[in-house]
Amino acid sequence: MATPFHLQIVTPDGSEFDGQAVRIIVRTIAGDVCVMARHTNYCTALGMGEAKVTMEDGSVRTAACMGGMLNVMDGKVRVIATTWEWKDQIDFARAQKAKEAAEKRLAEKNKLSDKEIALAEAKLKRALVRSNVASR
Amino acid sequence: MASMKDIKLRIKSVQSTMQITRAMKLVASSRLRRAQQRVTESRPYHETLSATLSDIANSNSDFTSMYMQKREIKKKLYIVFAGDRGLAGGYNSNMFRMIEAETKGESCCFLPVGKKALEYFTKRGREVVTDAFPLVGEISVSDCFEMARIVCKGYVNGDYDEIHVAGTVFKSVMSQIPVTTQLLPFTPKQVEGHREVILYEPGSAETFNAIIPEYIAGMIYSVMCESSASEQGARRMAMENATNNASDMLDTLSLHYNRARQAAITQEITEIVSGAAGSEG
Repeated sequence: MATPFHLQIVTPDGSEFDGQAVRIIVRTIAGDVCVMARHTNYCTALGMGEAKVTMEDGSVRTAACMGGMLNVMDGKVRVIATTWEWKDQIDFARAQKAKEAAEKRLAEKNKLSDKEIALAEAKLKRALVRSNVASR
Repeated sequence: MASMKDIKLRIKSVQSTMQITRAMKLVASSRLRRAQQRVTESRPYHETLSATLSDIANSNSDFTSMYMQKREIKKKLYIVFAGDRGLAGGYNSNMFRMIEAETKGESCCFLPVGKKALEYFTKRGREVVTDAFPLVGEISVSDCFEMARIVCKGYVNGDYDEIHVAGTVFKSVMSQIPVTTQLLPFTPKQVEGHREVILYEPGSAETFNAIIPEYIAGMIYSVMCESSASEQGARRMAMENATNNASDMLDTLSLHYNRARQAAITQEITEIVSGAAGSEG
């Protein structure tokens, strides 16, 4: 049995998780990282992707995690995310709809300004992450 | 003395004003509760974020980030939070008074959030960076990120050399204090003694630069939460006072009304009595 560590996940909308976990995998700006107990002090910025948290009892919870940072300080792990949605919180139908809307918008790329394209791309990316996490 | 009819009209108008102020007070109290809850929810995020950033900045003196370098101040940007509506006591005017005092004689531009703020700066012909956030009541987390993106871009481009955010701190329902906080350049709290050694991936500068916009958005969001709680608090207090004043006025007015009624009756009796005495004699 792996050693548990204290994990705290906070977003601007409130605390998402505060308790013991044995493992967390998140997507950073430079790829996936896995943090386990007794990790050295560590800090990185988060990208967009799937996150997996293994609880003390061995169960794995997945979540869509977008933006923010991961910080390990004196054995405590803090995830400060822009958005963190557990799999069961994701509205799959809404994510699908958002994905289709963004794809449709991007299909007429030449009509859009750079800013609109960037906005639609970001939307599409978010929708993709959400539906990927939810459908697994 | 005013006639009975005049007083009656006045009583009616005060009563209807009181009804409105009482309703507004109730609305403000329920909104205040929600706003306070939002402040409490966002607090852990904001605290962890600024603590972590200070840690990074303190532990690494070997990198320079454009977000930390102090440059010559040619222009300052103020992000100003005010309300969408008036009738909130001194909430809006206190904010603008502080801004005026703070920006006196300096070259500044503004990013107003809230209808009152936008009106204030456009009416005075001050430079407004964007008017994309006219309603503070409808600002979401993603709007804060959009704001952070805009100001970071402007800062990197050199449009302005210092960024401040002005909001109102919610001390209690009785007192709300307008304050400005400097966002950029980032100045960490100095920690005495030991410095933590932290591993950064991909690198301390990259991590720091990726986190800064995040931090600014977080700061803006928390200031927004505090400000909207303050607005509701100020409005609640103002409306409570208005309701109390109205009920005081009603007391005096009904006293006057009863006096006028009594005087009219006395006069009528005197008239009847003297009339009867006249016909008898």
